Amino acid sequence: MAESNRRGDEDATEHVDDVFDDAVDDDATADDDSKTSRRGGTAVRERAKSEPTEKKVGIFGRIGRFFREVIGELRKVIWPTRNELLTYTAVVVVFVAIMLTIVSGLDYLYARGVLFVFGNPK
Amino acid sequence: MLSAFISAFKTPDLRKKILFTLGIIAIYRLGATLPSPGVAYGNVQQCVEAMKTGDQSGVFTLLNLFSGGALMSLSVFALGIMPYITASIILQLLTVVIPRLEQLRKEGQAGQAKITQYTRYLTLGLAVLQSSAFIALARSGQLFNNMCNEFPIVPQTSLPDWVTVGMLVITMTAGTGVVMWLGELITDRGVGNGMSVLIFTSIAARLPSEGWQILDSQGVWGFVGVIALVLVVITLVVYIEQAQRRIPVQYAKRMVGRRMYGGTSTYIPLKVNQAGVIPVIFASSLLYLPQLALDFMRSDNPGKVYIFIEKYFATPTSWSYILTYGLLILFFTYFYVSITFNPTEVADNMKKYGGFVPGIRPGKPTADYLSFILSRITLPGALYLAIIAVLPNLFFIALDSQAYQNFPFGGTAVLIMVGVGLETVKQIESQLMQRSYEGFLR
Repeated sequence: MAESNRRGDEDATEHVDDVFDDAVDDDATADDDSKTSRRGGTAVRERAKSEPTEKKVGIFGRIGRFFREVIGELRKVIWPTRNELLTYTAVVVVFVAIMLTIVSGLDYLYARGVLFVFGNPK
Repeated sequence: MLSAFISAFKTPDLRKKILFTLGIIAIYRLGATLPSPGVAYGNVQQCVEAMKTGDQSGVFTLLNLFSGGALMSLSVFALGIMPYITASIILQLLTVVIPRLEQLRKEGQAGQAKITQYTRYLTLGLAVLQSSAFIALARSGQLFNNMCNEFPIVPQTSLPDWVTVGMLVITMTAGTGVVMWLGELITDRGVGNGMSVLIFTSIAARLPSEGWQILDSQGVWGFVGVIALVLVVITLVVYIEQAQRRIPVQYAKRMVGRRMYGGTSTYIPLKVNQAGVIPVIFASSLLYLPQLALDFMRSDNPGKVYIFIEKYFATPTSWSYILTYGLLILFFTYFYVSITFNPTEVADNMKKYGGFVPGIRPGKPTADYLSFILSRITLPGALYLAIIAVLPNLFFIALDSQAYQNFPFGGTAVLIMVGVGLETVKQIESQLMQRSYEGFLR
């Protein structure tokens, strides 16, 4: 939609604004239609709506709402897939194993050296 | 995956960086094994042998000697990176309190350099304090729990005492300065964040001997069980570190000259744990301070304050310690997220390049929206950090054993290892991508 509008236009930015306003309007109407809008914008508007009533809600109510919002955000989180998880875990384990080997090898050598130089004669 | 490691070494500039980092690590370990002047190393050796009750032999006696050994032998780098961390926490906290520091931070590059400079001075100050505490501890024999007072670590010499002690303090403080520099070198020219890489190294140095201890006391099956548990925790940590809340961003198409730019839709990835491992490192080093204070106040007839601190803030199994630790982690997670991710700045940048979150106006509403999500998504992240870090302490209480006081595979250590591992591997990965090699993470 935006593309067809703008083609051959001199001032693109003005149109960008238009498009953006459209988007907002769309969203707002969609919001009024159905509460379960999938758009990311719902959260803020909900908050804006409930702001006047905020003073009536007690501290527990507010905490409760906060936790509900936390859970709401958690639902939108994209968790790693099984494959991703296995790859990353394997990479981390291999990395740690390599570093462990290097560091303990170094430590062993240094320990030998320090014992040889500063240690008690055997 | 192995081929990725090989291609990492085939890329010249990456190979240089990796080797540089490994070289720094080698220097760090050398300094951590090298005893300071004035320390009778033979006595340390005899002391460790006298303390040793088990029949561990060969390699592991040696490693044991040097694992916690950096402190035992009062090595040059005995203090490690700890004072630097403490100093940087203090300065970051002060930035919020002192207006002048905040002004400096807002100044950008130059101001940041000045703050770093202050951090360095403070580090040296802390190093002087800490090293004198350790030396006092070692001279009174309490470093080994008074178990081998017949072998003094810092023996009397023909020199006056203050010369020896002064020498030790100067050496260890200078050592701390060098460690700080090594860390900064890694950040500048190596792979990963210097501070975390060095912490990672010192944890990695402790692991073999502690693993051996578990093998010794728990038998093979206990050891296998612990390893399995660690793998589960690692997987869990990776799972949450990878979780993102993606905020959709739409870029408007714009004409620049005769070409069209933008028009793409992308997202801002907000990690559930946006702060990484830093809060854990901060919290644990802050909780180390009461212990340090105790080392200073140590006397034959401890006062009320001493007993209070020791009972509630220096025993990892006491409920107040666990609670404080958890709360500190929560606090530092929010604190660190708030100083590293600035919603207003991100929103401004988006606006500048013609981007917007669908349904949200650019500018302030977007900033509000971002901070709304950030404050909500950080809570589970912070809770997760606190729970993983505190888990082993709860485990001790359940087992009621003092033997695992320094449990190496504890939450803090695993968090740091996995966090640093992921961060470093990803950095290598992105450099590989620049060379269009296939990375580790397919």
